[in-house]
Amino acid sequence: MIKLDNVSLVFQGGSVALSNVTTNISEGEFVYLIGHSGSGKSSLLKLLYKEYSATKGDIEVVDMDVTSLPKWKIPLLRRKLGIVTQEPQLLEDRTTFENISFALEVLGFEEKEIDVKTSTLIDLVGLNESMYKFPSQLSGGEQTRACIARALASNPLVLLCDEPTGNLDPDLSIQIISLLEKINRAGTTVLMATHDSSIVNRRKKRVLQLKDGKLLSDVDQGRYV
Amino acid sequence: MKKLNYVFKNTFINMRRNPLLVIATMLAVLVSSFLVFTTLSARAIVENNTSRWQNGVHVVIFLDDRVTSTAHKQLQDTLESYPEVRMVEYFTKSEASDEFKILFKDQPELLQEVDFDILPTSLRINLNDPADYQLIIERMDGNPAVKEIRASGEAIERLLSLTNTLVLSATIFAGLIAFAAFILIINTLRLTAYAKKKEIKIMRTIGASSTYIRLPFIFEAVFESLIGTSFAVGLGWGFIQYSKTSFIAESIFDIAISDSYLINLTLILLLSTVIFGFFASFVGIRKALND
Repeated sequence: MIKLDNVSLVFQGGSVALSNVTTNISEGEFVYLIGHSGSGKSSLLKLLYKEYSATKGDIEVVDMDVTSLPKWKIPLLRRKLGIVTQEPQLLEDRTTFENISFALEVLGFEEKEIDVKTSTLIDLVGLNESMYKFPSQLSGGEQTRACIARALASNPLVLLCDEPTGNLDPDLSIQIISLLEKINRAGTTVLMATHDSSIVNRRKKRVLQLKDGKLLSDVDQGRYV
Repeated sequence: MKKLNYVFKNTFINMRRNPLLVIATMLAVLVSSFLVFTTLSARAIVENNTSRWQNGVHVVIFLDDRVTSTAHKQLQDTLESYPEVRMVEYFTKSEASDEFKILFKDQPELLQEVDFDILPTSLRINLNDPADYQLIIERMDGNPAVKEIRASGEAIERLLSLTNTLVLSATIFAGLIAFAAFILIINTLRLTAYAKKKEIKIMRTIGASSTYIRLPFIFEAVFESLIGTSFAVGLGWGFIQYSKTSFIAESIFDIAISDSYLINLTLILLLSTVIFGFFASFVGIRKALND
């Protein structure tokens, strides 16, 4: 599902974000990407959805050669991925329902389909009681769940989550992780970047650890040491 | 259809965000298009008028009455032998008097005062190419039968030159205003793009194509430009219709311009406006989409 072969990313000015990273993630896996701030977690995720372009190496995501992907094909790649960022990116002037249906509207779904699918997604992330609330009226956890629902709008094969629990307290973080595991059990591959050791150590999943842009370890049922 | 709804809805939402800038843009396009429309129409009117004059008499040679009528006839024969000359008409004193009476029929005092005997006989020459009038003047220079030579070509040339200068000045001015409109459109779109920065970012993340994100901006620029030009064309048509019945039409000018010319000009202006709007929107939104 995701293949990285000797991938490096060097920014203009010479700062090295990633150095010779090689790994494979299979379909249906749930993988944690761990490391301290600045270790290259976000950069690696951004390479996968072609926000950045690798300086060296080959990247393949959902059977698409990301390395040589032309600009006009990037939207096609992103429609196969769900992307959740640390800061919940919600439109302040729209309700939870509208924020989720917006994604379906952009993806070209029919109006009837949009209503049904939005309701299903809201039900999946447990936001039924907050569907007509605006982002400012939602808690941090609810905002993250709304973002996850929106990321699932295109039925993605892979869900890329960049520290979705970064601003949440432990209880809310557990709720989000449980939700992501539920999505993973339904068949979606999940790659989640985090530096929250308590989550990683408790869930016993595959862990990729980055340090200074290098892949330090790749362990099944790993721990964040 | 769904996507088209989205595009139209967002075009109007975008326009509502910066109403003053939108109005300023439309006004700038209006002024620029109005200048282009009226100056090109004016040039067509002048060309129509001058070509009408050019089909008439180009050179008038007033003859010296002290010279015999045989000499006058010889001069006429000489002129008719020139390849540049299409026709020579001999205009007698009595014909000159009749013409004078017609031209000044509204001024009876003048007609009473004038001694028609002083009106000279003349040869009225029609040239194949009106630009050759100088050649005829040179050849007739010093001829004892010739009292004075008048050429309409000089007046036509002066008028055309004046018209061309006016058209050039107005075109430069229209170009400057069009440039101002261009900058205004770019600024309006940039402000809108800035206000919608988060929305654009989300759309890109979801997988919306650049074209899909651009469309509301393109529609906005084209729509604003088209409204400005449509008003300008409407004003231009109104101005020409008014001119046909105003003092301008009562002067030497005949407001002679065909509807087909005006329709063509309107279509070309509207098409240019669409291209202008497209180009401005591409420049305006380029940076916002690359961020």
